[in-house]
Amino acid sequence: MTTPEVHTLTGPYVLNALPEDERIGFEAHLADCQSCSSEVAELREAANKLGTAVATEPPPALKARILAEIATIRQLHPLVRQEEPVAPQPPAVKKGYTRRSFFGLAAAGLAVAGAGAIAIDQYRDNSRTTKENEQLAALLAESDAQMVRGDVKGGGNATVVMSPSKDRAIVLLHGLQKLPNGKTYQLWLMDKSRTMHSAGLASGQATDQAKLIQGGVADKIYFGLTVENLPGSPTPTLPPAALIAMA
Amino acid sequence: MSEESTALPWPVMVDPEAGTPADLMARVARGDSAAFAQLYDLMAPRVYGLIRRVLRNPAQSEEVTQEVMVEVWRTATRYDADRGSLTSWILTMAHRRAIDRVRSEQSSTDREQAVAAASSTTEYDEVAETVTTNLEVEQVRHCLSALTELQRESVTLAYYGGYSYREVAELLDAKLATIKARMRDGLIRLRDCLGVTGR
Ligand SMILES: [Zn+2]
Repeated sequence: MTTPEVHTLTGPYVLNALPEDERIGFEAHLADCQSCSSEVAELREAANKLGTAVATEPPPALKARILAEIATIRQLHPLVRQEEPVAPQPPAVKKGYTRRSFFGLAAAGLAVAGAGAIAIDQYRDNSRTTKENEQLAALLAESDAQMVRGDVKGGGNATVVMSPSKDRAIVLLHGLQKLPNGKTYQLWLMDKSRTMHSAGLASGQATDQAKLIQGGVADKIYFGLTVENLPGSPTPTLPPAALIAMA
Repeated sequence: MSEESTALPWPVMVDPEAGTPADLMARVARGDSAAFAQLYDLMAPRVYGLIRRVLRNPAQSEEVTQEVMVEVWRTATRYDADRGSLTSWILTMAHRRAIDRVRSEQSSTDREQAVAAASSTTEYDEVAETVTTNLEVEQVRHCLSALTELQRESVTLAYYGGYSYREVAELLDAKLATIKARMRDGLIRLRDCLGVTGR
């Protein structure tokens, strides 16, 4: 995606005229093409004028229905950093992992962003590089960056991108099953003594999300994902939804 | 009496687009449903109008409008004013939802209706029932007419008709690369004519 013509995709992209695969590819390009991302921001404002130009008063009853519905809808919390350490217990099964190209990885990361779960970018692309995307890009740029991936029980998969030298990892969760109310996904890292350390929670309501783990990554041998009761558990409930070898 | 004391203050020009929506949005993000009701009044006509333009079916359009407005409520904390206007954020969401709906329901009848709808895209037949200021509509109409035929068709077939660039190329019997380029330079010309900026 580095041929000059890729830059002309800003038009079809803003008009939502790209097929899914090309959209994801272009979003990967946007992540590191400043001129395309600022062009997208501008063209989007222009395209939306076409929308404004056809404004039409909706039926009055719609407002009442929507106001009634939002009364039952919980709002997403603002984005804040989180981390929490705790301990115990080991499972131990070696699962396969796959390595993909960094390009594919970037695309995967942006696709997760695209689902809006964590809103890495509110427009699903990169009109301005966000912290998360910068972190992902920085991680990918590390010479020791590695990626492992595994299936999640119940559907979907988890991809872990890590850099031992930076002692950081980004976990991309994709296509996960939604959990019942009161349940949450919890991330774990297992050390060489087979002790599991909590690496934070992931929403049970979002099917696609990205989590940054800062610290405590370098010496770990497995990444684990479990289903726990809110607000999370000090020990993992077994069997885990996923257990992926990290080295 | 001096002149100063009798002078009336300058009338304050209140731009409904300036300040207010962002303030409203900050309150919405804190769970203020009264603010959401105000935001609804401001945005729903644009959201509904756009969706209706793309989908044509009134019942479906209401349904998708509801999805979008509820999503605005749900994700209000994630809106970042530094990254684009509120209108753009919401309309982008609305357009995407409408397009997703078009793509997921591509039955042949839907497609036929869409073709019929798309062929009238530059006529603005619904202007009479719109609530947008005439000036805005006039501007868009004027700027669209400043595009070349191929630019205009490419942009409107995609935006209002919900066609992918491949479908547009097919409909207009043009090369894929040509259509991609016309969508881009058409929008660039539109941007320059409308004088909009990215943020
Ligand atoms: Zn580019």
